[in-house]
Amino acid sequence: MSELKTTILTDDHLELKAKMAPFAGYNMPIQYSSVKEEALAVRNSVGVFDVSHMGEFFVEGEQTIDFIDHIIPNDYKNLSVGKAIYAPLLRENATIIDDLITYKLSENKAMICVNAANIEKDWDWISAQAQKFDIKLSNHSDEISLLAVQGPKAESTLNSLGLEVSDVPTFGVKSFENGIILARTGYTGEDGFEVFCPNATVKELWSNLLSSGVTPCGLAARDVLRLEVCYPLYGHELNDELTPLDTGLKWTVKMNKQNFIGKETLENYKAKYKLIKLALNKGIPREGYDVLNSNGDVIGKVTSGTMSVTLNRGIALALIDSQKVPADEIFLIKIRKNDYPAEYLKKPFVVGGNKK
Amino acid sequence: MSNTPSELKYTQEHEWAKLEGEVISIGITDFAQSSLGDIVFLELPEVGTSLDKDSPFGVVESIKSVSDLFSPLAGEVIEVNSELVDSPENINENAYDNWMIKVKPANMGDYEELMSAEQYTSFCDEN
Repeated sequence: MSELKTTILTDDHLELKAKMAPFAGYNMPIQYSSVKEEALAVRNSVGVFDVSHMGEFFVEGEQTIDFIDHIIPNDYKNLSVGKAIYAPLLRENATIIDDLITYKLSENKAMICVNAANIEKDWDWISAQAQKFDIKLSNHSDEISLLAVQGPKAESTLNSLGLEVSDVPTFGVKSFENGIILARTGYTGEDGFEVFCPNATVKELWSNLLSSGVTPCGLAARDVLRLEVCYPLYGHELNDELTPLDTGLKWTVKMNKQNFIGKETLENYKAKYKLIKLALNKGIPREGYDVLNSNGDVIGKVTSGTMSVTLNRGIALALIDSQKVPADEIFLIKIRKNDYPAEYLKKPFVVGGNKK
Repeated sequence: MSNTPSELKYTQEHEWAKLEGEVISIGITDFAQSSLGDIVFLELPEVGTSLDKDSPFGVVESIKSVSDLFSPLAGEVIEVNSELVDSPENINENAYDNWMIKVKPANMGDYEELMSAEQYTSFCDEN
């Protein structure tokens, strides 16, 4: 085992007596007070997550737009400067290397934010693709910290700390003179911002946020919040074997684009799975539990499950064999010895407040 | 620090056992509830179930975790706290007031072998 990496804020987390655990090679705060209190703080007020383990790459040069448009299936070319876009990163066979957000900082400069566990894999893939383009690619993951400030009071809190964000639209990006780049994005379904901060000043920002009454939130609350609004997580709903059509990401694939990596495969691709949303009235679904049809046949598996703190019921995302989706839409989840009837939902479990 | 009443006996799986006449009530320790965090689900056996020592008798779930409950002793389940199944969060409030099952022990030797409060406290400190 190689030694765990730490974020700049590790001492601050320990001081707050956070429960720490290894995540993607980093020693990360999982929980400070209670998962429920933290998650509800984000739904009702404002919370902050240290997600500095995530990776940041920069792409610079005249062919930046062509390059990004080539490596992601979503439409980067027609995105306005100062906006960000979500997309999976695909291989030629359309399997998912990672999911990421690309920020159009200018015509000739982009930042890509990638999952911590995939930094090396993404870097290897993206730099191999970059050979054919006139661009400069750089990895700044170790120099940039990332704080996600999320919740209905995120805007007023950042404004009060001198980071004027009221002019930033949803998925908008803004750069500040002190080196901070922030975007109105997040992983909770609430209004909020992801603040990319130079390592040198992140301790000050963290402490100012806490002094302003922002609740420190761990990765456990983050996982509950993202699952409540049905955002996929790499390693659970997304992985190296699945294509975007297998797992609910069709909306990120623009087949009318001239070309992108994976397009040829997807032209004739028949989805192997369908990602569905299930909620229980009794019992808590967990990753790996079998999903059954009304005859008791196994038709799929739960990819993520938890108790929803907002709804106070068990919720799950599950991948179902696309050939076995039952016409009667009756699903059960096997929890230990018992089969629990699940409600099949077509919309996210929770509608966050970010739909302005 | 966790609270560990001296009149109870304890297991390495963080259950407590309390002798009341010829019946032993079983729950989880303050250390256990604090490690689990918000407890949201409890699954217990039916009355009449016979338990082996160290066999799983139920499940306790927090928002993010699932943990088996292990019987500190062999015996028969004679009472189940169904109110606690409806309000498992009460365990977070007070781990020792909220027993889960009452067992008629097959032999008192199992009970005698359990850790004292002092032994359990040092066990928690070491782990």
